[in-house]
Amino acid sequence: MKIKEDSYMYEMIRTELTDVVGNENVDTKFADKFGHSIDYYWIPEMWHDRGRPCPKPDFVVHPKTTAEVARIMKIANQYKIPVVPWGGGSGSQGGALPIYNGIVLDMKRMNRIVKIDKQALTVTAQTGIITKHLEWGCNKAGLSTMHLPASIACSTIGGFLAHRGTGVLSTKYGKIEDMVMSLEVVTPTGEIIRTLPVPRHASGPDLTMLFLGSEGTLGVITEVTLKVHPQPESRQFRAYIFKDFHTAMQAGQTLMRSRLQPCAMRLYDETETKTHVSKVFGIDLDKGAYLVFGFDGRKDIVDLQMKHAREIMEGEFKGKDLGSKGGEWWWENKYKFFYPGYMFHVPQAFGTLDTVADFSHIENVYWAMKKVVNTEFPDARFIGHFSHWYDWGCMLYARFIFPGDKVPPNAEEAAALYNAVWDKAIRAAIREGGVINEHHGVGLKLGRYMKDLYGKAMPVLEGIKQKLDPNGIMNPGKMGLAGC
Amino acid sequence: MHIDKFEEAMMNCRFCFMCRHLSTIGQVRGTEVDTPRIRAAMLYGLRTGTNSFDDSDFVEALYRQELSACCVHHCVNHYDENGLALAARADVVEAGKAPEKVQKLAKKYGKSAFTAKGKGDLAYFLDATTAADKDVVASVKRLFAAAKATPVIIEGGSIGKALKVLGYLPEAKAAAEAFAAFLAEKGVKTLVVSNPAAFDALTRDYPAFGVKLPCKVLCLSSYLLQAKVAFKKPAGEVYYLADDFMRNYDGCECPEKLLKALKATNLPFGTNDEESYCCGEGAVVFDELNPALVKELAAYVAERADHPKTDRIVVLSAYTKKVLKKYGKLDVVTMDELAAACL
Repeated sequence: MKIKEDSYMYEMIRTELTDVVGNENVDTKFADKFGHSIDYYWIPEMWHDRGRPCPKPDFVVHPKTTAEVARIMKIANQYKIPVVPWGGGSGSQGGALPIYNGIVLDMKRMNRIVKIDKQALTVTAQTGIITKHLEWGCNKAGLSTMHLPASIACSTIGGFLAHRGTGVLSTKYGKIEDMVMSLEVVTPTGEIIRTLPVPRHASGPDLTMLFLGSEGTLGVITEVTLKVHPQPESRQFRAYIFKDFHTAMQAGQTLMRSRLQPCAMRLYDETETKTHVSKVFGIDLDKGAYLVFGFDGRKDIVDLQMKHAREIMEGEFKGKDLGSKGGEWWWENKYKFFYPGYMFHVPQAFGTLDTVADFSHIENVYWAMKKVVNTEFPDARFIGHFSHWYDWGCMLYARFIFPGDKVPPNAEEAAALYNAVWDKAIRAAIREGGVINEHHGVGLKLGRYMKDLYGKAMPVLEGIKQKLDPNGIMNPGKMGLAGC
Repeated sequence: MHIDKFEEAMMNCRFCFMCRHLSTIGQVRGTEVDTPRIRAAMLYGLRTGTNSFDDSDFVEALYRQELSACCVHHCVNHYDENGLALAARADVVEAGKAPEKVQKLAKKYGKSAFTAKGKGDLAYFLDATTAADKDVVASVKRLFAAAKATPVIIEGGSIGKALKVLGYLPEAKAAAEAFAAFLAEKGVKTLVVSNPAAFDALTRDYPAFGVKLPCKVLCLSSYLLQAKVAFKKPAGEVYYLADDFMRNYDGCECPEKLLKALKATNLPFGTNDEESYCCGEGAVVFDELNPALVKELAAYVAERADHPKTDRIVVLSAYTKKVLKKYGKLDVVTMDELAAACL
């Protein structure tokens, strides 16, 4: 819905919102609304690049407290206006775009660390805090969230909770959903609820997990208690070059099946090793696939795990040892990949075909996606790395990139080409046993695949949404759920 | 347009989020429009017609930037979004769209009448902000005395920095030329300054304007180190807040070296050493332009102090000292005062 700015209703809503958060925290100016019309999704970036305006909210509201969020939700229900929670606005899936206008609830004034509990090793924080600031706050207390994603500097912790984000140390410390103790949530109807205080219990289904990954469609997560960890005594990395991606994948899987406990592991296919890893590190890695892993914790245990890991890499799989320095290159430059100059950029068309599968399927997913992109879109380049590893499988961070001069100048045609790649590649991944997303979320971009993915379970999700959000005002049109 | 000279920054920053945690105003206001990404995107929108300087809110956002340059310092490619914003202000002024409060400040800082007290080829530039702090002035005098030097004291107002920051480039250049001519007339061979903004103007802005100074320029820290002034008392535990101009604008590392010479134990302030704690020092007249924001910035800094009432905070500029004391209620001294106390 678009509320006419010269209507009584517009002024009524603005007045009520102002009553909750103050005039200075309700933005209706073009400049402020513009800032909430583009996230990190390629389509709005492309539109912006070509001078096509993107949908904007009617109001940008900046609450400071949970009580204010609750009051705002009641107003939104009264007037049946869409509400889109907004953290750092750095999502790549269009999940926070106000596609039906309405209210954008910018959470960044809710940025306090409420408590650090050194006995339980937990931190409680408002969810609008930029994750880097949360991490810095924990570091000051000698602790770490161990949630260190590439977007740590720009994303709020609420954003990670909303779409089940992950960090570079996920292999040991888990994704964000593994780190959460409990949540405070404002429901779409404006009730403030808390999930159970601990994540392991037998007191019924887990509401914490229900809200994690709900992308603002089921409520607004306003506060979180996370596990934190002491800073490790030692953290060591080592890297290898394998003759090809398949051999490296086998080595990585063997390491995981050995039940050693790396804190991180990353494997780049031959193309990405040659084009990206080389560029970021400033060294020549012309042939083979680069694999890096690390361990952290007590030094004697780290040393022992590293010894066994080296035996795996250098024995059967004959990895060429780049030494600890080869591993440190990655750790020191782990975020550099995402800065301009190293990251893809409009006018290129690019996307991350984030997929997760078990070890029995992950290679097939990779080859199926690669084949689709290479054969059906010959102008596109396909690269991939495997960035989050578990006991049972790993995540494929596959990307396609069209050079700028191969992207149609017409915005509709450009979007059609872009969406066609997703359609073919994602469906190929699902056919091979992949799950379409591991940590970027669904948002607007992948919503149309949710029915493919969930099958007969989709109505369960839709039923939950309907029960919690009877007026359908919470981030409508996202995650394959109904629009306004 | 002036912003065309910062094409690289505009094109790259408009879709980049990697410095958002250091976006000082964005952090205190919780806004998107006050981040490098959205500023760059809006400036790009001038080309496509989606944005215009006719939008006073957009212009207001450009003048809300505190110009700490933390983003430039942090960026792996050092894309100069700070320079982009300054260029945009110059374009705003040329388009006749400068807000009234900006015009008033430009008028105020357009007036200069330099005076020189004393004789010799060593001079100290006492800018208006520093001159207003009697304790700092007294400390500077003691330090020169300890160095057995009697510099010519030059006062009298604007050397062009405020004008440049406000977007009045021709006027800033004219002020620079006038100051350079004054120094030449007085036979100054070495000019010492305390104010980091003045240091930045003289060492970076003037060459960019093509204005050649007749003298070398030293920050006071550097001068004291070169003069090998003896400091008898150790400074003890302090929290030195890295200066925007010296850290982020490629100023110099002399303040940190002086801290060591003063035997100071520099404790880490807040949670990190990447953010700006200078409360808009980079925007030079920020307290006059956006007083309410400066108050918020000072409160933000004060909240991060370990022991707000007792921590000894050291800053480089009299500007930062003024606003942190006034709004943050912190115990702040400038480096000059700290050094003088160690004599």
